Amino acid sequence: MLSIAKITFREAIRDRILYTILIFGILFALLTLFLAQLTVGDLAMVRSFGLAGIYIFGMIITIFLGSSVVYREIEKKTLYFVLSKPISRGRVIVGKFLGLLFAVALTTICMALIYLFIIAYEGGGIDVLGLVSILLQILEETLFIAMLILFSSFSTPLISTISSLLLLFVGHLLDTVVKSAEQIGGAIHQIFLYASYILPNLEKFNIRNLVIHDIGISFETLLVIIGYTILYIFIFLISAEAIFKKREL
Amino acid sequence: MIEVSGVTKQYGGERVVSDLSFSVRKGSTFGFLGQNGAGKTTTIKMLVGLISPFSGKILIEGISPSTLSIKKKIGFMPESAYFYERLTGMEFLHFCGELFGLNKDEKYYESIFKKLGIYEAKNKVIREYSKGMKQRLGFAQAIVNNPEYVFLDEPLDGLDPIGRREIKEIIKSLQKEGRTIFLNSHILYDIEELCDEIGIIHKGKLLYFGTINLFCSGISLEERFIKLIEKEK
Repeated sequence: MLSIAKITFREAIRDRILYTILIFGILFALLTLFLAQLTVGDLAMVRSFGLAGIYIFGMIITIFLGSSVVYREIEKKTLYFVLSKPISRGRVIVGKFLGLLFAVALTTICMALIYLFIIAYEGGGIDVLGLVSILLQILEETLFIAMLILFSSFSTPLISTISSLLLLFVGHLLDTVVKSAEQIGGAIHQIFLYASYILPNLEKFNIRNLVIHDIGISFETLLVIIGYTILYIFIFLISAEAIFKKREL
Repeated sequence: MIEVSGVTKQYGGERVVSDLSFSVRKGSTFGFLGQNGAGKTTTIKMLVGLISPFSGKILIEGISPSTLSIKKKIGFMPESAYFYERLTGMEFLHFCGELFGLNKDEKYYESIFKKLGIYEAKNKVIREYSKGMKQRLGFAQAIVNNPEYVFLDEPLDGLDPIGRREIKEIIKSLQKEGRTIFLNSHILYDIEELCDEIGIIHKGKLLYFGTINLFCSGISLEERFIKLIEKEK
């Protein structure tokens, strides 16, 4: 399983398109230096811009790497080398998940280090709350990777990408939509309420608005979010394994 | 021993392999012959446990090939396979060895590269390999675990004459070591040179299973094969 993770990680971080996206992400982070000059000491704006940039590019990298991970291996038949050897399909799924996770986390950390340096350079010290926000972003990316592996086990990269973008959008609007539906009431409210129980609420991972106002989260809240992430990862990966086991090569 | 009994495989409503039955003695070299699209690759994929038969049974040493314990004894070279193009040859072979739980040093893998004649390319990324080099790398990963059963799907495809001779010599050395070899090919000359027994498949059905001498009965394998296929048409 760790061999699969290692190979997946190596393949991912050697992808030239990944480097292109990462360079844009780093440039965006460096842009905050310029923004810092314009805002003249208003670190809230710099932090907002920086954290938003890390999030956007982190998710682009996640979706780019994850949307075709299993599908591509089936289409290109690289899985013939793997599955003819004594390794179960479940271990392949988990190995792919871990490899992608390490690759995505590494790129996010690269962007985060630049961000932290800029905040420190501008007199903000070590941005601990910013670090917590980025940690939660990595948790969100982890959940997304598991979801993308599930999609990738049965659909094409295009459908995986579109589905994940839709879920990204819906996942962040879930609370707002349910509150609006509550005012309408009836079946509409019930539908959106049940949807909110099933779909991952990605807004749980978003504390960027709190962080820029120096508001943190409690340790208990952090533990709940971690538990929430683990539950969804478990559901996604078990489902991916079940589908992948039935998949003809 | 490899035993195939009444194996059928279908995709959707289409039967690609129909009621296949044959056996391969331990230590022998079995050639599986057929035209393109006859069902050779589907059969070999079932033999190595990549896919399951719709009906019938496949057993290797009395155990299903989808069992992890039997997979430890199998080496498989797919036809025209794609590789992880951003890995080097050495990284790929290490990876394949690790999947078998091998804990070998660099020298072990280097010896396999030398055997296959691609030692100089071991640290190059696979993207830069020629078709022949990829074919040799595919063969290398098929023997990395010193398998008792070696399944080769068109192993000589894409090789130049010297490469073909070198791979045939390796197959012959595997034969001398007593490995059981299952060889898919549509090149009759190679089958004639390497195999003890053959199976001939056409449109998913086994037309012949037995020794080459009995099949040929004094005429060339190519002539006999063509006559059989044309008779089926």
